Amino acid sequence: MMRFAYFPGCSLSSSGYDYHLSLKYVTKALGIDLVEVKDWVCCGASSAHATSHLLSIALPVLNLSHAEKEGLDQLIAPCLACLSRFKAANVELEHDADLKEKIHQVFDYKYQGKVKVYHPLEVFLEMGLDKIRQRIRKSLKGLKVACYYGCVLTRPPKIAQFDNVEDPQSMDSIVRTLGAETIDWSFKTECCGVSMTLTRSDMVLKLSNDVLREAKEGGANAIAVACPLCQANLDGRQGQIEETYKTRYGIPILYFTQLMGLAFGAYPRELGIQKLITSPRDVLGSIGLM
Amino acid sequence: MSIVFSKENLKLSRDLQALTGENAMLCYQCKKCTLGCPSAYAMRMKPHELMRALQLGLAEEVYWSGTIWICLSCETCNTRCPQDINILRVIDGLREMSKEFEYYNPYPVIPSLHRIFMAFVERFGKVYELGLALLINLRMLTPFKDIDMAAPMLLKGKLKPLPHMSHGAKELRQVMAKIRKLEGAK
Repeated sequence: MMRFAYFPGCSLSSSGYDYHLSLKYVTKALGIDLVEVKDWVCCGASSAHATSHLLSIALPVLNLSHAEKEGLDQLIAPCLACLSRFKAANVELEHDADLKEKIHQVFDYKYQGKVKVYHPLEVFLEMGLDKIRQRIRKSLKGLKVACYYGCVLTRPPKIAQFDNVEDPQSMDSIVRTLGAETIDWSFKTECCGVSMTLTRSDMVLKLSNDVLREAKEGGANAIAVACPLCQANLDGRQGQIEETYKTRYGIPILYFTQLMGLAFGAYPRELGIQKLITSPRDVLGSIGLM
Repeated sequence: MSIVFSKENLKLSRDLQALTGENAMLCYQCKKCTLGCPSAYAMRMKPHELMRALQLGLAEEVYWSGTIWICLSCETCNTRCPQDINILRVIDGLREMSKEFEYYNPYPVIPSLHRIFMAFVERFGKVYELGLALLINLRMLTPFKDIDMAAPMLLKGKLKPLPHMSHGAKELRQVMAKIRKLEGAK
């Protein structure tokens, strides 16, 4: 059993609860033990670094120290906003002595920088595709998936240190292992605009429409995502996008963990699939999964 | 527009470098940042123009354009800059320094969102998504915006009607108070 500290973040306890459910299911199936970080607080996302640099480092450090104190040296952050803030905190503390000094003034506990931060994709890939292949009960043959990585999973490479920065392949290789086909498209790492979702919805509609249109034109009948914010945007706003751009997509936006869970033989309910706004019933029904 | 260049004009980029460690003078206008930027189409001053304006010390033009608030923080520019300038860090620095230029901001709602977001974090230790949406909608005088998106999310239990308190909220408040003290001191 591998043990990881688990930082769900604000999204996975509300709008991304289905991601939480499916991640729990998949990690359990693969023999990974997730220990939720004790008394975790928000990582500050894009609002903290827009107000104070020190604060944007302090919030992740607060959570990382909790994990370190419990003797956990690996942490999983499934939300990209959290992930990138955590990784940035680790990298900047390592390279910036002044910042480290300031951070140590703020906290009684001196964070040693020992906790390595991972996205679930990194963990699964490190375990090896064979391990995933062994668990498969139902093939996802018939699905054509556009894997959408979102903005900060691979960017900037100095901080993310994962996969190819402009054309990542990690999610594609996992989804292909499940038996599904993946499409080749150029919008894998484009931004869906979520940081502006409440204030400049017009921009978000345009950017998310670009992603949906490209996926559809590439022949995909589902999009796999690795972030609760991308999911909320592409799924929750899909109706508004269709209305604004006078078109019809009807593409279900599934978490890659939900696809893994389905292939592992889970009931859709266990993976929170009923919570998706754009119903995947037709697409999953066509390959006999629902 | 003609610009009379003097030592004064160097102040902006130097202040910024002192705050962020990033040197705007390194930019040679290759425009890779603008070409990759997903929100450049909505900016009155494109990212490469912003860098040029910083070199020339045009603080008012920079803040007046509102570009720093239209940036989505997606990190594409940082990744592609051949001079290795962390442009997002530059923009964040400008955001941190923006208080004295608040008067110029054409998009005051966006920094408001950041303030409301951080206020919720300070109060509960977590973001309260529904509350954040409601407050910012009121701030924009469009109280029913996105109700068609929120309704199904509420029904499916994707949005929690009430905020949830983190057990770490108290510790977080102490940290935030200390940081404010530390930053006020300098």
